[in-house]
Amino acid sequence: MTRRSRLTRVVGVLALLTALAFLAGCGGGGNKSSSGSSGSGSNSNSGKTYPLLRVVWDAPDYMDPQLYYTVAAYQINNYVWSGLLGYKHEAGPAGAQLVPYLAESMPKISADGKDLKFTLRQNLKYSNGKPVKASDFKYSIERAFKMDSPGVGFFSAISGVSGNNGFATTKKGHISGIITNDANRTIEIKLDHPEGDILYILALEFAHVVPSGTPASDQSTHPIPSTGPYMLQSYQPNRGFTLVRNPNFNNQIPTEPSGNPDKVVGTIITDPVAAYQRVVSGKSDYDFQIVPNDRLPEAQSKYKDQLRIYTNANTYYYAINNKMPPFNNIQARKAAQMAVDPQAIISGVYGGLGRPTENFLPPGYPQYKKINAWHFDLAKAKQLVQQSGTAGQTVDVYGTNEDPSKSSIEYFAGQLAKICYKPKLHLLAHSVYFQTIGNQATKAQAMFTDWYQDYPHPLDWFDTLLNGDRITQVHNNNVGNVDVPSVNKEISDLKKITELTPAVNDRWAKVDSDLMAKYATTIPYMNRSQTDFFGPKVDMTCYTFSVVLYWDWGLSCMK
Amino acid sequence: MATESTTDFTLDTAAALAAAEDEGAIEGKSPWYLAWRRLRRNYVALAFLLLFFVIVAACLCAPLYKDHIAHTGPNTGHLGETFTRDGKQVAVVSKGGFGQNGEFHAGGIPVGPQFWHAGGKYVLGADNQGRDVAVRLLYGGLNSLAVGIGSAIICTFFAMLFALLAGYYGGKTDWIISRFFDLIWAFPVLLLAIALGTALSINGFHHFGINIKSGSLWIPTLVISYVLIPYVGRPLRGQILSLREKEFIEAATSQGASSWRVMLSELLPNIASTVLVFFTLIIANNILTEAGLSFLGAGVQPPSASWGTMIADGQSRIATAPWLAIIPGIMIVLTVLSLNVFGDGLRDALDPRAKVRMEH
Repeated sequence: MTRRSRLTRVVGVLALLTALAFLAGCGGGGNKSSSGSSGSGSNSNSGKTYPLLRVVWDAPDYMDPQLYYTVAAYQINNYVWSGLLGYKHEAGPAGAQLVPYLAESMPKISADGKDLKFTLRQNLKYSNGKPVKASDFKYSIERAFKMDSPGVGFFSAISGVSGNNGFATTKKGHISGIITNDANRTIEIKLDHPEGDILYILALEFAHVVPSGTPASDQSTHPIPSTGPYMLQSYQPNRGFTLVRNPNFNNQIPTEPSGNPDKVVGTIITDPVAAYQRVVSGKSDYDFQIVPNDRLPEAQSKYKDQLRIYTNANTYYYAINNKMPPFNNIQARKAAQMAVDPQAIISGVYGGLGRPTENFLPPGYPQYKKINAWHFDLAKAKQLVQQSGTAGQTVDVYGTNEDPSKSSIEYFAGQLAKICYKPKLHLLAHSVYFQTIGNQATKAQAMFTDWYQDYPHPLDWFDTLLNGDRITQVHNNNVGNVDVPSVNKEISDLKKITELTPAVNDRWAKVDSDLMAKYATTIPYMNRSQTDFFGPKVDMTCYTFSVVLYWDWGLSCMK
Repeated sequence: MATESTTDFTLDTAAALAAAEDEGAIEGKSPWYLAWRRLRRNYVALAFLLLFFVIVAACLCAPLYKDHIAHTGPNTGHLGETFTRDGKQVAVVSKGGFGQNGEFHAGGIPVGPQFWHAGGKYVLGADNQGRDVAVRLLYGGLNSLAVGIGSAIICTFFAMLFALLAGYYGGKTDWIISRFFDLIWAFPVLLLAIALGTALSINGFHHFGINIKSGSLWIPTLVISYVLIPYVGRPLRGQILSLREKEFIEAATSQGASSWRVMLSELLPNIASTVLVFFTLIIANNILTEAGLSFLGAGVQPPSASWGTMIADGQSRIATAPWLAIIPGIMIVLTVLSLNVFGDGLRDALDPRAKVRMEH
């Protein structure tokens, strides 16, 4: 899968989130949280500015903050539009820290966790020179709903959104849970129930602020005025985009760097070989695409200094249907886990670009505790299958028809055959794949899937993907129908907690261990590594990789 | 006194003369014999026919090769495994990943052709799943040939049937069949095949009491047959329209022969040579179409092999493992070339003045 996989994957999640919020609500109770202070400033890059950065980029889905959901759009636009909160521009795990962007400080949160109060910074302006108003935030969230944005499900906890008369349904009037005062620059957000990840949600692109009156339709090709250090000058779908400095930025967001390149010209090339070749030939300074397996040895030997390999927060796993034979049998599930050799997949299918895992949560999270519960053992797996009495059963195996995920699922089907099942492989186009396996009528028994974080919080993993209380008939993201009641309850309890203390982190780690090792619900096998490939002019001493923002292009510099 | 003439014509002399005439008569040769005589002098065509039979025979031996030489199936992957070559253990697919010190090593390069250094294993190398390329090549050949020949049979049969009906009956029947041909012809053949192949490969075909599961070889076979019917049917229809006006058809009709009898006994034998040439050429064409469809994911479905899917699998490794795409490519070239050269020879033999061409 490519980074784009996040798009289609999460559209289903959001439909699910929305639906659930309307139908069931999501718990209650209260918990206290603290108000924060201004984040650290990191906007000074004096002496490293340069005139032009030329990049080869993947096709973004949109260039409109209320709509885009691919990494391609996210990574380039995180310097364009801003939300109340954002991430620290720092390398490594420090980059997962939330800091105030348009807000002058972290919010004041009520004791019950249901009320958040922000104040906008003074004298904020859009790139067109007009002032940023508190009511623009409310308008932006409402705009997302009016556009049927893929991100609206994230806002379902805001009062006045869910239910039959909620704004999500009627799209009329205003969201009652967002109260703004332009004169005082205050924004108050009221929640129906405490939401452990609400601050991360407010940092998502869907909550980025656009001027009131911006049409509630895709404005990708009619750039919306921005608040960040850059503005989108032009965008031609499938061809390219140009970013230039925001003339009205004036370091109005001290927590966000002002950026080094004066101009960014992006050329959209979706073929990884062509993208790689463009950088090799010196026509571009950066290749967004993953260097193809076929060219990796060359890149590593000839251009080693220009190549960076990173492993961001993702998990590749085989989902097995816990509610259908043969994998409703725990022995069969354990056998399937043992039949998979992660290192073999990483080598053969991904050219080595990956790290084996048995955890669902990727490394780097404070909640991560390495699981080492099983190892590749075909003989033992066969034995378990025999003991389970499921040998010889047919298994409908689903995957996408694009490499490398195609090869990955072919491998898994082959391994199932080796442990005495009869796999039947179904390969679908990526565009319909997740909708198909997310439909219970498909009766998929084993599936390729992956997940890239939306924000660095365990809820984005366990609640979205493995909470049995959230299984649906269609748009089901818990494609393996994982449903362990004790774990479901623990996830619901943890969801109410906003502060991630070490004790809370331990509880999340146990959720991971219970689901993967104790109940063998899923077969995680890899955290995929990816590449950043640069042209020879780029000064690699400035290379900054953040766990949330990926390669921080604004901090790049030239030799 | 009158004498008896020796030249008197009697019944006995008539019989004797007739017998003498038979002895010196020129022996009649059937058109098929004449064609064979011409064909057997065309050594190039026969050589390519032999090549085609060799390819078919090799593919038919796939199960034997699998069981007795390679000892692995066409879809059996060997990722993470090793094999013995000249007494040394060799990884089927090179290992890659991060070492203890975090340094990255690119991997995933499958082992190249071993010929006979590994006791029959990986004679033509392995693919990125660690599958034996030689085994997949033979099984893939079986699938490609099955689809190519099967679709050629179905396509030629229906094209011939439609051509007979349209050409013989004319009128509304001809109009309906001709519009049907036009309808198919209106689409670019490969695009139509891709659209049908993709749609059917997802859920199969379950209509009109016919149940074909997704992944079945019947899907590419029927799709290719369907899209190519007009390319064979149209020229045949034209030929029948012309034959229908000949005296021997009128004679048969006037003697009370039924329509089916005229079509089967009079018309069909007269287009048989054209059909035969078309059939040969269309097998080659269908093998190419199958390869194209499979390459694009709309033909033979993984994990089953075909030469097209093998090229598709190999293209992502063209720089580091070029044999993955080149070897099945060579097989396609040889098969298609052999059929085309033989087809041309057959056409020359059956009717040197014929202008039968597969064009679209």
